[in-house]
Amino acid sequence: MDILKIFLYLLVYPGLLFLFVYSTFVEWVDRKLYAKFQNRMGPMHTGSHGLLQPIADFVKLMAKEDIVPKEADKKLFNAVPILALTSVLTAGLLLPVWHFSDTFQSATSFQGDIIVIAYLLSLPSFAYFLAGWASASMYAAIGGVRVLTLLFAYEVPMFLAILSPAVMAGSWRMAEIAAYYQAHPWHLLINIFAFAVAVITLQAKLERVPFDIPHAETEVVGGAFTEYSGRKLAMFRLLADIQMVVGAGMIAALFMGGFPGGLIPGFIWFILKTLIVVFILAAMRAVTARLRIDQMISFSWKWLAPLALLQLVIVIFLKGYLQ
Amino acid sequence: MSTFILPVGPQHPALKEPTSFRFLVDGETVVDADLRLGYNHRGIEKGCEERTYIQDLYLLERVCGICSNVHMTVFAQGVEKLMGIEPPKRGLFIRCLMGELERVHSHLLWLGVAGHEVGFDTFFMYTWRDREIVEDILEMVSGNRVNYGMQTFGGVRRDLDEMQIRKVLDGIAALKARTPYYLNIGASEPTLVARIAGVGKLPKAKALELNAAGPTTRASGVDFDVRKDDPYAGFGEHIPFNIVTDEGGDVLARVVVRAKELMESYNICEYILKNLPSGEIRVKAPRKVPEGEVVSRAEAQRGECIHYIRSNGTDKPDRVKVRAPTLANWPATLYMLRGGYVADIPIVMAAIDPCLSCTDRMAIITDPKGNQKVWNWETLRQYGIDFYRKRGIKL
Amino acid sequence: MSLRLGAMLPEVLKHLFKKPATVQYPFEKIGVPKGFRGSPVMDPNLCIGCQLCVKDCPSEALEIHKESESTDEAGKVAKRFSMTFYLDRCSHCAQCAEICPKKAIHMNTEFEDAAFDRGALKIVYK
Repeated sequence: MDILKIFLYLLVYPGLLFLFVYSTFVEWVDRKLYAKFQNRMGPMHTGSHGLLQPIADFVKLMAKEDIVPKEADKKLFNAVPILALTSVLTAGLLLPVWHFSDTFQSATSFQGDIIVIAYLLSLPSFAYFLAGWASASMYAAIGGVRVLTLLFAYEVPMFLAILSPAVMAGSWRMAEIAAYYQAHPWHLLINIFAFAVAVITLQAKLERVPFDIPHAETEVVGGAFTEYSGRKLAMFRLLADIQMVVGAGMIAALFMGGFPGGLIPGFIWFILKTLIVVFILAAMRAVTARLRIDQMISFSWKWLAPLALLQLVIVIFLKGYLQ
Repeated sequence: MSTFILPVGPQHPALKEPTSFRFLVDGETVVDADLRLGYNHRGIEKGCEERTYIQDLYLLERVCGICSNVHMTVFAQGVEKLMGIEPPKRGLFIRCLMGELERVHSHLLWLGVAGHEVGFDTFFMYTWRDREIVEDILEMVSGNRVNYGMQTFGGVRRDLDEMQIRKVLDGIAALKARTPYYLNIGASEPTLVARIAGVGKLPKAKALELNAAGPTTRASGVDFDVRKDDPYAGFGEHIPFNIVTDEGGDVLARVVVRAKELMESYNICEYILKNLPSGEIRVKAPRKVPEGEVVSRAEAQRGECIHYIRSNGTDKPDRVKVRAPTLANWPATLYMLRGGYVADIPIVMAAIDPCLSCTDRMAIITDPKGNQKVWNWETLRQYGIDFYRKRGIKL
Repeated sequence: MSLRLGAMLPEVLKHLFKKPATVQYPFEKIGVPKGFRGSPVMDPNLCIGCQLCVKDCPSEALEIHKESESTDEAGKVAKRFSMTFYLDRCSHCAQCAEICPKKAIHMNTEFEDAAFDRGALKIVYK
């Protein structure tokens, strides 16, 4: 029975099938919001109101010819999308999609899973760099180098930002952190700076405007993905969507009180809270221009990292005060 | 990474038209830049020699899609000078109106393209939505959204009635209300300003030395505008307007200059429509043009557009030479690109508002050994036939 | 002007409640204004066969052919001409309509001219 449950968690919810379907829905929401902000319509015809458009895009890419450049390192070139996709899917399994309680254990929840999920979410960036490096194209090489430079900029503020609610709650386990904030909802407001930093660095991790420097279309054609086509490109695009879901889920679990109440209410809370984060990300995408890599680094180290540090200091003080 | 050559073009998402750039790049810095033009050459100047003057009007209109009216105006003006006829006042005013409406549509288009080059797609969508207002006006006045076909020898071809004038004034008023918002955003949105301020600097001395044209040079403080310095069309009748200059010399200054030129164009259009003289819109023009040669110029959206026309007394021109403003701006662009970042390449190139269709005439590439062959029509044709025969394509 | 964080945000959020500016062509169409320059249409009753339109067309898109010639009792000769119009060459400049001395050509308002077969774009006005 347990084996069956594990397979259910892995394949259906919160595993493969759920992440796949929900990430396409989230991409649809993002595209529709982005279009509405720009006074246009977004996808309209595939499925009712274009709901099936992301799936249609995925299927179309899967059906296209898969070209590997002659000079490219074939093994690495082929392996990288799969590696990146698996790491992000594994990260998705760690989300506390139902509330921690003695009767209803979360799918996979253990002390320290907040560090593991952050680590797994940063593996795709290395995968992008390897993809760019293995492609033997100068645009891809520039794109790959930019991915790593971007990583230097946002990784530290991101870790500091997700540290603050953990310190406040006194635990390294996401389900316990969510439970703490369910018990003390006003403490959510203490983490407001960390929330801002976390959302901005999530936008950087997802490589969306204003941080889509590595694959800036008008500068380096496709960045690390220039030489990818067909199935591998479909996997990269899918992985970007799933990363958005997992990142939004992580932020919702840490900063918005998690997903309490068991299976069904937890599911509804998950959808709701991740959609709020997606709304903020889509609005950020619509109102900004793309930054240059040196501007991003100076912005990150001048503003984001100090803000996250300030938040940490506030949390430490308040924790001592409230004890 | 040591220096390597980054090719931008002929196919590249940053370019709207094919150009071949070769950048010597060191990490993220551009050390050197080189340019090769000629990809959009279509043989229009040669085509002009085989067609009558009336047919050439429409051929020259299609040199470029955005500057189509300007090329038609310059050609019509030049041939009118050769013919010795002068259009009536109402015709000149409507000719001027079309030029200014085209400037409005082009600058709004440019604002959107500049936004897109820095990744600011919302700006792009908003400016192009507003551009639809002026496109609808142009369609109503001239019968088409592009290639208006309004100019002819002796005046303009279509007139405006009362209802059209009212509609145009309403459209201009709506645009006048919307445009200051873009100037505002261009100066206050932090990410946009970070991308365009201080980028692509062109000092005034360099702008004069490299002979830049249009808003590119006006943004470096040079106040040269053909409408004031060599008035043509209705501008000779002292339509009041101001030349817009800015001292910044960077891309932000060019955005400001173009946005302010938009406001000036709205004022010019309103003045023309409210003070349109009555009368005829054209005079009859002869079919055969007397012998002579003439240089005619106008202020296109991107700078000074010059045509040289030589006639030999028949109804076909002897030689037509088109010099578009973007050709004058390329040396300045190469200067701006050196020493900048790779990330700045698209926006610096877009800041001069490049129009390759206007620019590309025949490109002569000199042999490094110095043996420059000059090919005539027969040699060129034979070369083309041999090229394809060698590859097994029968011609 | 000073920098404002998220300067475009109020305008962008307002657009959540506005109607989109997109027209869903071809399911919805906006018409063309009066005077739109479509393709030339010729009235054979008015044509006198002067061939000025053929001379002036910049794209060699027109041909005028004599259809018939008849002489009536008074000795007056009446000729009828037809026009072959190549829509795939036309540049829609309306020079033919302008130059015709008998106003036999006017421009229609058609713009959806695409076809799969070149032959379908050859139109004869008899």
